[in-house]
Amino acid sequence: MVLLSHRLLFFFFFQRTQFPASAESQKPRLKKAQEFPILEKQNWLIHLHYIRKDYEACKAVIKEQLQETQGLCEYAIYVQALIFRLEGNIQESLELFQTCAVLSPQCADNLKQVARSLFLLGKHKAAIEVYNEAAKLNQKDWEICHNLGVCYIYLKQFDKAHDQLHNALHLNRHDLTYIMLGKIHLLQGDLDKAIEIYKKAVEFSPENTELLTTLGLLYLQLGIYQKAFEHLGNALTYDPTNYKAILAAGSMMQTHGDFDVALTKYRVVACAVPESPPLWNNIGMCFFGKKKYVAAISCLKRANYLAPFDWKILYNLGLVHLTMQQYASAFHFVSAAINLQPKMGELFMLLAVALTNLEDPENARRAYAEAARLDRCNPLVNLNYAVLLYNQGERKGALAQFQEMEKKIRLLKDSPSLEFDAEMVEMAQKLGAALQVGEALVWTKPVKDTKSKHRSASASKAASLQQPLGSNQALGQAMSSAAAYRKLPSGAGATAQPTKPPSLPLEPEPAAGAQPTEAPAQIRETQE
Amino acid sequence: MAAASSSDSDSGRAESSEASSKWLDAHYDPMANIHTFSSCLGESLGPGTPLVVGDLGPSGQHPRLKVLKGPTVLTESPLPALPAAAATFLMEQHEPRTPALALASGPCVYVYKNLKPYFKFTLPQLPPNPLEQDLWNQVKEDRIDPLTLKEMLEVLCVCRFLQLELSEMEAFVSQHKSKSIKRQTVITTMTTLKKNLADEDAVSCLVLGTENKELLVLDPEAFTILAKMSLPSVPVFLEVSGQFDVEFRLAAACRNGNIYILRRDSKRPKYCIELSAQPVGLVRVHKVLVVGSNQDTLHGFTHKGKKLWTVQMPAAILTMNLLEQRSRSLQAVMAGLANGEVHIYHDKALLNVIRTPDVVTSLCFGRYGREDNTLIMTTRGGGLIIKILKRTAVFVEARGEAGPPPAQAMKLNVPRKTRLYVDQTLREREAGTAMHRTFQTDLYLLRLRAARAYVQALESSLNPVSVTAREPLKLHAVVSFQVCRAIRLPQGQEGRGQG
Repeated sequence: MVLLSHRLLFFFFFQRTQFPASAESQKPRLKKAQEFPILEKQNWLIHLHYIRKDYEACKAVIKEQLQETQGLCEYAIYVQALIFRLEGNIQESLELFQTCAVLSPQCADNLKQVARSLFLLGKHKAAIEVYNEAAKLNQKDWEICHNLGVCYIYLKQFDKAHDQLHNALHLNRHDLTYIMLGKIHLLQGDLDKAIEIYKKAVEFSPENTELLTTLGLLYLQLGIYQKAFEHLGNALTYDPTNYKAILAAGSMMQTHGDFDVALTKYRVVACAVPESPPLWNNIGMCFFGKKKYVAAISCLKRANYLAPFDWKILYNLGLVHLTMQQYASAFHFVSAAINLQPKMGELFMLLAVALTNLEDPENARRAYAEAARLDRCNPLVNLNYAVLLYNQGERKGALAQFQEMEKKIRLLKDSPSLEFDAEMVEMAQKLGAALQVGEALVWTKPVKDTKSKHRSASASKAASLQQPLGSNQALGQAMSSAAAYRKLPSGAGATAQPTKPPSLPLEPEPAAGAQPTEAPAQIRETQE
Repeated sequence: MAAASSSDSDSGRAESSEASSKWLDAHYDPMANIHTFSSCLGESLGPGTPLVVGDLGPSGQHPRLKVLKGPTVLTESPLPALPAAAATFLMEQHEPRTPALALASGPCVYVYKNLKPYFKFTLPQLPPNPLEQDLWNQVKEDRIDPLTLKEMLEVLCVCRFLQLELSEMEAFVSQHKSKSIKRQTVITTMTTLKKNLADEDAVSCLVLGTENKELLVLDPEAFTILAKMSLPSVPVFLEVSGQFDVEFRLAAACRNGNIYILRRDSKRPKYCIELSAQPVGLVRVHKVLVVGSNQDTLHGFTHKGKKLWTVQMPAAILTMNLLEQRSRSLQAVMAGLANGEVHIYHDKALLNVIRTPDVVTSLCFGRYGREDNTLIMTTRGGGLIIKILKRTAVFVEARGEAGPPPAQAMKLNVPRKTRLYVDQTLREREAGTAMHRTFQTDLYLLRLRAARAYVQALESSLNPVSVTAREPLKLHAVVSFQVCRAIRLPQGQEGRGQG
């Protein structure tokens, strides 16, 4: 801008000296006067250079044009301002657009650009004012409505934003407006409405991979796996290298135990985004599922290196180290995770398991107490706590925890998508017998129920039921084999049998526990 | 066509990897010094006739009309202004049917016949602003002095007059008051539209797009304006189908990023496609409008403006044109990309990729010389490339894109673990509890030491102390290397399995 105005000044000066000189004779002046330059003579050329992103050539023509018209060619200034904005000189672009708006005050486009620059400068209120001015000149412009809506989002006035975006959709439907509208609902925490919006958006433009992926992730968040997979799959057919979609779809395959398929999918991402922490986290958990623990640790450590403050990666690292019986290391990873995320019961439970194995029952107990305090719905926390208490000879405390677990089980029993791990049920029954509450019908019945259901399911229609049940079973199996592997060396002590094994089944579930935490980890990262 | 010139080998080398290419390299001259846009690349004017190029000159300085025959420039003549568009068309039915060349430049269309200037059409003057007209009329009758005039004009709009200094004003006014004011606009784009027959060699009208947001259809013989349509923005690219006397559809890509579709009887646009990006090319393939946007995408739309498909390009699109292989009745879109490739698409399917030694800025496919299927390209550096489509070449839609991306076959780069690591793991399994205890003890010791050092510092007043509670002081401790080692060593002796 500074440069430009200099040039203009210079040119005015030039003209002043030039004109009297030519005024000496009347004749040449008359000739000259007849040929005024047409102000818009080279607008088309400026535009062609601009859309081809040949900004150097474009600037040269603009300069020439502005010299010729003494800074009055509106379009040249307009494009110059656009180029300034692309180059990041937003303040300069704003000033030039304002000049344009002065040159032709009836043009809504100039005002729109002024507002856009204001918006980019973060002056949302000022931008809204200018957009409103522009809206007076052009009432049926979706862009004005859309951008007003976006400004209101930044000002957190969601109702107004909502209205404006709906207006924009009425005028003309654009993917971007749908995305913004969905974002408002997400910011307000209304997943269902967001899904409604994205559904409409996908209907309107079925090939937009961003829309498909976002919708898929929303379904995933709500646990509607079938639809989530459908949309993510669609996104991948249109763009087989879509980073978000691959990660999300891969994580779903992992929950179903298709580790090899997930790994092949991840290869694509590893090529495109080799430094993605969630990617290496997921790859690590794939190897974990395949019982390749060393590879799992390598990948998780890389993920941790890339994102040292991601507690989910630390959680998984802790989990894998527990499986590897590296309790000292597991303790460090889990305690690091707790430092970053102190509000999660499962983390304290993992810590307690590590501490139990490090022969520090005192601290383990404290950790369990904290876990039981924080956790709301995971019966495993209480079961493990009860086992520990029982082993320490505190029948009363154990009984209390056992009852707490029963309560949680009763709550969970209603949700059909949840199936309890077989080993956990077995352990609970053993403990129940040891605590002599085995007769309590309240507890045994639901367990028997779930167990028989589980059995028949896996026997008769495993394939059909696998999908909704999936998560717990798959990883549960992976983990129970890990537990079995552990049983071999430690199974010696006969008296220890009821005491030690209890800490084993703890692990199967942590794995299942890891799965839900792991999936959100991907969702969270991919949505960013 | 003068085939295989000496420079052929250059381009041959550039394309040596593609032995099975569908194209013959006829000519490549990187120093041809031709700078133009696709719109100014005039088609061949019939069998055995040359190619006409409206050349903008290296920096838009010296516009020229270049006539090429074979690989060489036949004639060159200077143009009065930069050419915005060029088109060849048949003016009349009489034999011999020599096509004429129209060159749009500034407010005029220059029509050449047999490459000789034939006719110049100038756009009609625009009606002046009535208020301004009124003001000048008053000046004519000496009822207003220049200063008041200036004030009044400032309210109205921009004018050459406003740029003047006070001293010049009077002279200016006295000089111009007798003349009528005029406003002139400029042609931004031009294309042709068949008059009343669909034949290939039927008479065509010229369709002009102007800077004042209008579309004009010119009569090919009398050069009168047959129809005038107005648009909401300035047209940049035009695409026409049909015949003027029967029914036609006109798509105009405009500077506001919208594409307007007009029909014969509509004075205003009937449909509107909002791209939310700038269009960089507009080509009609059968009934599909293919639009390239400056966000590196190619979109397909129906003639009613419904979006059909979108393809992502690997680089920015610089220019687009139609490829029509009549012998196989194939129509496809060619897009010159900023990465030095020309992609040929049939709908969404990529048919062919041509790699060029320089970035292609204009494209034209058609009959050139004796060869039916010739592709002529000019590059950013001013080079000229001529390629001939092999007569045996058949474009097949590559089905490969359905398969997995090639990256899927690459092995994952999983970090390896050393033997030492495995040994340490085993050791941790055996002595995990001891390690943990040592670590905890050392950690407590470290904390104790730190606390002691802190207390000591406080007691000896070695550290700055915050006076007010509201401005807490941040204590920045630097742990020296020795301390670190002192802690690490015992750990190292007892087991380094932490890592």
